[in-house]
Amino acid sequence: MWDKARTRELFVHYHEHGDEESRDELITMYLNLVKYLASRFRNRGEPIDDLIQVGTIGLIKAIDRFDIGREVEFTTYATPTIVGELKRYFRDKGWAIKVPRRLQELSFRVNQAVDALTQREQRSPSILEIAEYLEVTTEDVLEALETSEAYNFVSLETDRTSEGSDSFSILEYIGEDDQLMALVDDRTMLSEGLKHLAPLEQRVLYLRFFQGLTQTEIAAMLGISQMQVSRLLRRTLRLLREHITLEEV
Amino acid sequence: MASDRITLTVPARGEYARTVRMTAAELASRIGMSFDEVDDVRMGAEEAFVYASERVGESANVTFTFTVSADALEVEVGPMPTPDEGAAAVSEGYAEFILRSVCDEFEIQHAPEGCTLCLCRRAAAPAGEPGA
Repeated sequence: MWDKARTRELFVHYHEHGDEESRDELITMYLNLVKYLASRFRNRGEPIDDLIQVGTIGLIKAIDRFDIGREVEFTTYATPTIVGELKRYFRDKGWAIKVPRRLQELSFRVNQAVDALTQREQRSPSILEIAEYLEVTTEDVLEALETSEAYNFVSLETDRTSEGSDSFSILEYIGEDDQLMALVDDRTMLSEGLKHLAPLEQRVLYLRFFQGLTQTEIAAMLGISQMQVSRLLRRTLRLLREHITLEEV
Repeated sequence: MASDRITLTVPARGEYARTVRMTAAELASRIGMSFDEVDDVRMGAEEAFVYASERVGESANVTFTFTVSADALEVEVGPMPTPDEGAAAVSEGYAEFILRSVCDEFEIQHAPEGCTLCLCRRAAAPAGEPGA
């Protein structure tokens, strides 16, 4: 099912030469393992796609930490990491599940309304416009925005399919961007943090904070919804913050 | 319209990030900011909250003073202890960078009682109801 020789080769490329494409290939290669493990949790009321996304995060962690020097199959090593991530997801979901279904649905409708109104008006709609469009109150819209926080898992699938072999790396822009240079200069943990972001995350981060594009512009450019851009940014900022916090400890 | 002032003091713990985000978002939407802008304000409020929380420590409070005028939302966060040179340089640079990106104006004011973050975000154009 999995090509062991190729796996080994890819790990050498990735860990010893930092080749991101090898990492991506590993992720694609072992996605079946994630799907299989995720399917074991399918009767717990969560959409299988979400579970696959969560499992993929576990897979990526396993890929990043795996030591090929050890006499262990990668699948043996990765399985507990992926399952651990899924279990943690259900544990963390404790509070998220308490989000009333009404709000979950509203969050979904707000997402659609933002896209529809942006299309129609050719600009980002106001909260009031969204509320009127959906015939709800502005408080409902803001509440829905918060609810979307509970769904932090932006589709990694989008990441892979939308750009094909997107190998965007923010660090490649260091030479061209003084701001970026000033930020990562001498701050190795931050550059380390940036490396751990998926290409799509890096691209969104770069477009938003270095190119100064708005979320609406980024969404249009990448063909994803604005709320996805919002969630990607949030996730990205949290990841970077974690890296910084680690460094300071 | 004359500007209104709203003060919010919350414990410097992560669970209150939501309170801060919601308040900031509500005030931003009140002056007709777009969805884009409201999300920037939320992001900025959260970053400022995290930044301040790290400075004051878990057992202390963080105070936000929002000033709402017809076309802008100003936020002052603090006062908080002035960070040591070096130790906080990284998160300092990072938070400042993010805050500068999501705000139209950003500065750190230093005073004897500590430093205060001053952020300002303007509503680009009155969406929906011009002149409202």
